[in-house]
Amino acid sequence: MAPPTGPRASRGNRPSQRGSRGGGGIGKRRGPSRTDRDGDVSMDSVNAANPPTGPSAHSTRGNRGSRGGRGSRVSTRLASNVRNHASEDGTARSDKSQFSNKVTLKIHGLSASKASGNQDGGLRSLLEFLERKSSKGRPVVLGRGVIRGEYVWLKVKQADAPLLLRLNGFSYAGASLTIEETNDPIPPQNAQSTIDGPGPNPSETREKLLAVLSSRYNAEQKLLDLSALGADQNLFSLGAFQSKALAEKSFKVLMSLTNTRYDNPVEKEAGIQAVTIANNDIHDVYEVFTLAQTLPHLRRLDLSGNKLEDMSKLAKWRHEFRRLEEMHALGNPLANLPNYSTQMVEWFPSLQVLDGRRVRTPEEAAEAFKSWFPTPLPRLPSNLRDGGNNVASTFIRGFFTTYDQDRVSLARQFYDDDSAFSLRTGAEPVPDTYDNFSRNLETIGVRGSSTQQRLFTGSNLIAELWARLPATRHPSLDLVDAWQVDCHTFPGLAEPSGQGLAMGLAITVHGRFEEVDPTRQLLGTRQFSRSFILGPSKSGAPHPYRVISDELALQTWVPQQQQTPTAAVQAPTVTPAPTTAVAAQPPVLDDAMRAQMVEELCRQTGMTPEYSRLCLAGLADWNFDLALKSFHEKRGELPPEAFVPTA
Amino acid sequence: MSANSHETNVRCSCEAAKSFVDWYYRQINDTKSISSGYVNNHGAYDRAGHPPADICINGLVVATPQEWEALLKQQEHAPKQPDPNKRRVRYDVEGYNVHVINADYRFGASQKMLDLHSPTDGVRMMMALTVSGTVYFGTSKNAGDDYWEKQTFHDRFILVPNWDVLEKSGPKYGRRYLIMSHNYRAN
Repeated sequence: MAPPTGPRASRGNRPSQRGSRGGGGIGKRRGPSRTDRDGDVSMDSVNAANPPTGPSAHSTRGNRGSRGGRGSRVSTRLASNVRNHASEDGTARSDKSQFSNKVTLKIHGLSASKASGNQDGGLRSLLEFLERKSSKGRPVVLGRGVIRGEYVWLKVKQADAPLLLRLNGFSYAGASLTIEETNDPIPPQNAQSTIDGPGPNPSETREKLLAVLSSRYNAEQKLLDLSALGADQNLFSLGAFQSKALAEKSFKVLMSLTNTRYDNPVEKEAGIQAVTIANNDIHDVYEVFTLAQTLPHLRRLDLSGNKLEDMSKLAKWRHEFRRLEEMHALGNPLANLPNYSTQMVEWFPSLQVLDGRRVRTPEEAAEAFKSWFPTPLPRLPSNLRDGGNNVASTFIRGFFTTYDQDRVSLARQFYDDDSAFSLRTGAEPVPDTYDNFSRNLETIGVRGSSTQQRLFTGSNLIAELWARLPATRHPSLDLVDAWQVDCHTFPGLAEPSGQGLAMGLAITVHGRFEEVDPTRQLLGTRQFSRSFILGPSKSGAPHPYRVISDELALQTWVPQQQQTPTAAVQAPTVTPAPTTAVAAQPPVLDDAMRAQMVEELCRQTGMTPEYSRLCLAGLADWNFDLALKSFHEKRGELPPEAFVPTA
Repeated sequence: MSANSHETNVRCSCEAAKSFVDWYYRQINDTKSISSGYVNNHGAYDRAGHPPADICINGLVVATPQEWEALLKQQEHAPKQPDPNKRRVRYDVEGYNVHVINADYRFGASQKMLDLHSPTDGVRMMMALTVSGTVYFGTSKNAGDDYWEKQTFHDRFILVPNWDVLEKSGPKYGRRYLIMSHNYRAN
């Protein structure tokens, strides 16, 4: 007798029904097969409408089973699968009593039968065989069985159990079946699904594969060497490359494990820049397509020594690897094709080196790359159009120095009873020092009372709030690269006297400041954007113009590398009143800012970076203006090597 | 209580800001025109001799809203990208805030509007609106999807009433507030 595939197996829908169980099982119950004979989609009302008949009458579950003979066989099968699945998990249903009408059967003999060579280990055909043989007086529908070692475990309705036990000793595909009832629980699922039969422990396999990945990773070259995987003893011992299908699967697993080794795509991109999959008997890159999904930003790829016939075998990757700079594909038949090189250059915009030959300059590659992805607009430096009196630059310069040192006096000088201030943090999930004051309408909504409460109007309220905010230190305005200031004048403001229109000045400032996190006493840097609207002052004010609106938008606070845990940083804890603390606090600068100051001094003086650094670090103590002043004083005494030679 | 902190003005400015932000970023994310949102070519402002809207993009002053649209188009340019889900530029707004900077705005207003609405009515408002968020390059329409590059953006608008719409009796169609100044930075 040939391995039974069963007459009903040819009924098109069967294999897929049984084969694709799992997470989708629940969904399948809702399929079209659920409709009643008269087309009603009402499983639940069936019980009442069609009184159960036959031996399973006492059970609502059996009730559905008994409907199986009326053309809804598939649906009952599916329902049964779902129930089995749920009961097997144990956790899926809390009320176990509803399964008390189930009997567990242990069936031995499948592995010795000829059907065991089937793709699913013969499970499907066995169940069909059992259904066919037991359905004598009435149809018997079996749920999903599972293979655990030598046995097939199966849950059946109590009423069906005698019919099945009667088949004990039947011969199936050249083997004798032993069917017995058991009270043992079904053993837990193994590494391999029911389809693959018994297999090794998954965590063990995972460890082994991870070890393979580690041994094949070269941290220095950031290279993952996946060449000649078929010849790898470790992989061979796992049986990972026994068949073509298995090899493809194993490669996918390797890729997914690669993913798990990195916390985020940026780390992964930095960690793996080159991959070789040479000598892997690859006929078409779809076999290893996941490589492109796992490492989309790969820089170098070695494909050589594979069996890629022509360009169509590489075509699956033509929209991938946009950053690929170097490729090796010699030893593939396609490398001998006349259009090989041009096609490669066309497909991979960043490709510069093909099989060791330069095919594009980096500039050409950058240009070719542009047509693949949207490109951010160019950034221009500050755009100051403040009407010729330098009002904006004067204001900004004074403003940020005073804001760092004496916020109360700043509020008195430039703000009056109508001035408005509010601050806004982003939508970051981490709680922020400023969150309680943040007037982010996206977060607090536009109708709540917070819109009113978090709008600070009048210099007194503003000064009060400022005193509660963490101490800050803005970089010098001379570091032009650290700031983006755009401003322009506009008409339409109200003249403070009451009648007529006045000109205003709109200033937006983007930059960053140093800030001490008051709860953690950590020094950090924060990106900010601040928008001012300036307008003419009321009579009697200290300045001709005042701040009408001041909106401070804060971005994420980034802690600095702990560099100088000095008393300076601790200062605000000792004196909790921020206004005095700010004034007392000596300058705190990070390395990046220092580097910027050095660079700026080089630019302005023509000194070498070394001398600029000395000049800044000396008496000037990183005060840029002092350093510049002392340079001008001592210029004559400086040796010629202090200056960058002008060619 | 100053007109600026008047409850009605605060409420109306917040609602106007929300309506504007919803509209503006939906338009640019759908690559639809936004030029009708600027004061340029609006009857009341043209008649009153209002200068065209001041638009400054990453430090570059552009003369018209159409030029800004052209820049938006330019940054979306990816002719070789076959996958529409990698071709987009998407602006995700993460926060905005608005201040009334003149509750008694009069430029180009008809006497009718001045008589009809007092400075505490929440109508004749000039507002400074700031918006920030993330702009994703080479991404799909859906938030959270893969992207090629991202930047943070910050927009500052000065909005003024759209007299043409506000003066109309009956149902009002069109933007109630127009951009008279726009500053954009993406870093």
